[in-house]
Amino acid sequence: MISIRNLNHSFKVGKKGKERQVPVLKGLTFDIADGEIVSIVGKSGSGKSTLLHIMAGFLTPESGEIHVQGVQTSSFSEVESAKFRLDHFGFVFQNFQLMPGLTAFENVELPLTLKGISKSERQEKVNDLMQSVGLTDVQDHYPNELSGGQQQRVSIARALVTDPPIIFADEPTGSLDSETEADVLLLIQSLNKTRGITFVIITHDDEVAQTANRVYRMHDGVLTEGGVQHAI
Amino acid sequence: MQFKDQISFVQQHIKKNKMRVFMTVLAATMGTAFLIVLASVGFGIHETVREEVLSNRLVTEIQVYTNEMDEEKAEELKKRDHVKAVIFRQHLGTMQQSSVGEFTGDHELIVTDFVEEGKVNFELQEGRLPQKSNEVVVGSHFADNLIDQQDVGEDGEFTTYKGKLIGEQFIYKIGDDKGDLIEDEIPLTIVGVGKKPAKDWDQDRKVYADASIIPELEKIYFSHVDKIDEEHPDAQQLFYGNVNVYADKLENVKAVSAALKDDGYSVYSISEELEQLDVFFLALKAGLVFVGTIAILIASIGIFNTMTMAVTERTREIGVMKAIGADPKLIQRLFLMESAWIGILGTVLAVVISYGVSIVSNYVLPIIVTAALGEEDLGGMNVTFSIIPWQLVVIASTISIGVAMISGWRPARKATKIDVINALRQEL
Repeated sequence: MISIRNLNHSFKVGKKGKERQVPVLKGLTFDIADGEIVSIVGKSGSGKSTLLHIMAGFLTPESGEIHVQGVQTSSFSEVESAKFRLDHFGFVFQNFQLMPGLTAFENVELPLTLKGISKSERQEKVNDLMQSVGLTDVQDHYPNELSGGQQQRVSIARALVTDPPIIFADEPTGSLDSETEADVLLLIQSLNKTRGITFVIITHDDEVAQTANRVYRMHDGVLTEGGVQHAI
Repeated sequence: MQFKDQISFVQQHIKKNKMRVFMTVLAATMGTAFLIVLASVGFGIHETVREEVLSNRLVTEIQVYTNEMDEEKAEELKKRDHVKAVIFRQHLGTMQQSSVGEFTGDHELIVTDFVEEGKVNFELQEGRLPQKSNEVVVGSHFADNLIDQQDVGEDGEFTTYKGKLIGEQFIYKIGDDKGDLIEDEIPLTIVGVGKKPAKDWDQDRKVYADASIIPELEKIYFSHVDKIDEEHPDAQQLFYGNVNVYADKLENVKAVSAALKDDGYSVYSISEELEQLDVFFLALKAGLVFVGTIAILIASIGIFNTMTMAVTERTREIGVMKAIGADPKLIQRLFLMESAWIGILGTVLAVVISYGVSIVSNYVLPIIVTAALGEEDLGGMNVTFSIIPWQLVVIASTISIGVAMISGWRPARKATKIDVINALRQEL
């Protein structure tokens, strides 16, 4: 469970000496239950990406508290945050963020390598996963040899490989055509059902947002509207 | 992340930028090889000078200077710890003359203890050691100094003694305190000829006799000269002694010398000379290493550049790794390993090249120098131009790899400071 209480954040803008604080998140309080697909939808500049960055530990909030599975993560140091991410979070990005010098297989393997898992164990795990997301045929291809849909599948496989309880997806379909978008959303729903993984989807697309169990709407740093509760 | 995975990660990145890494390794190699070769000249000259000094004398020899040396004191010195031999040589403080038939020469007679001499380095090329008071050993160049006085040409040419020496009897005379030769003759028989000195220019023309000859010499001398006593305090004494103490091992020379100094003796040993020599060459070698280090520092600019470029180019990848959960320390370590790898490869190549240059220069330079000087050899000296001891390899490697890692440290730190959000926003 992710529990957010009274979360505030602002950015400094303007020239040095003439900076001013622009509030981005204004006293957010909400919960995300285990096994939910939650989407946070909003226009550009609404603060949804900043919220994701803070939940993921890329940013330290100005004030407020975040608890992930009972652990307060908002006061973590950079090193603690990195370790927590590796063990608890998976990430799916709009432009896939694959390592260009690594094959699809090696990209998926990377989080396990960072965790210090043995090669044989890694290979077994990645092979299984590549099969389950339908990437076995292209596992030796480099990212630039894959289609957008395939790259996003690799990205999802990389997010899944450490069996994290939570996956953050930042505009996961933003770079995909509508057909591939549907495939990816189906895959997310299927993984949520079969593995019980919590997905937090950040999107500007209402259609994508509606595939979630719960929808939060961001406007000027405030969650202005409660989500629609779908059956899990 | 396991260590072998870190290595394979670094190797993958190096492979991607082969040419740039190669050029950086080349610069590191040249800098390190320059340092090693430059310092090796210092080591080579040091060794050459050391060998030259050591070839003339025994390293365990300690020269003792005192006005009051006698047999009793020499005996006392023999009983000291770590003393292998004590050679008490007594020289005559007056003119001397030896003659075999028509041939005469002014050979210096030395009274010594052949047992002690034998313990150190006194060797005969033929014959045996004296057993009676009128038996002597002569130096290897004794005959060269016996000149036929009747046969000296106007142009200065003369004839030297060419006959046999062993068993030959010659007449030995000494002078008085006014420089006049005393007519009393002392017949001496040559029973041995000493070994040639190591150096061609060193000529041994001395006559070595046992202490049993002293009474006869004193009898003749003091029948013409006053003895030193209260009435004649300025009278000239016949014998002047000098003592050489030989330590059992080189390591003990210092201790034996110190003990002698404590007892009021003035001493000189080659180890002291070598110590001064070593200090001088240590300073020289340190200077050469310093100059060589400047070359490595120049090469380090290349390493810094390469690593900074690598970090800049990989900003997005570093951001992704950090986002996934890579420890910032791991990212720093990966970049440090890359710069260390450049340093290590550069050093290994530099060591191999330096040994090659050293071997070639030791072979080629003497040929060039002798050709330039128009001589057959370098004055009999065995000149070594370059030596690379393992210590130099260790010093150069430490400096080279250390400088490479320091050069890579700042870019590596920069990599850990990369902001994940900004890195992920970078265009592909």
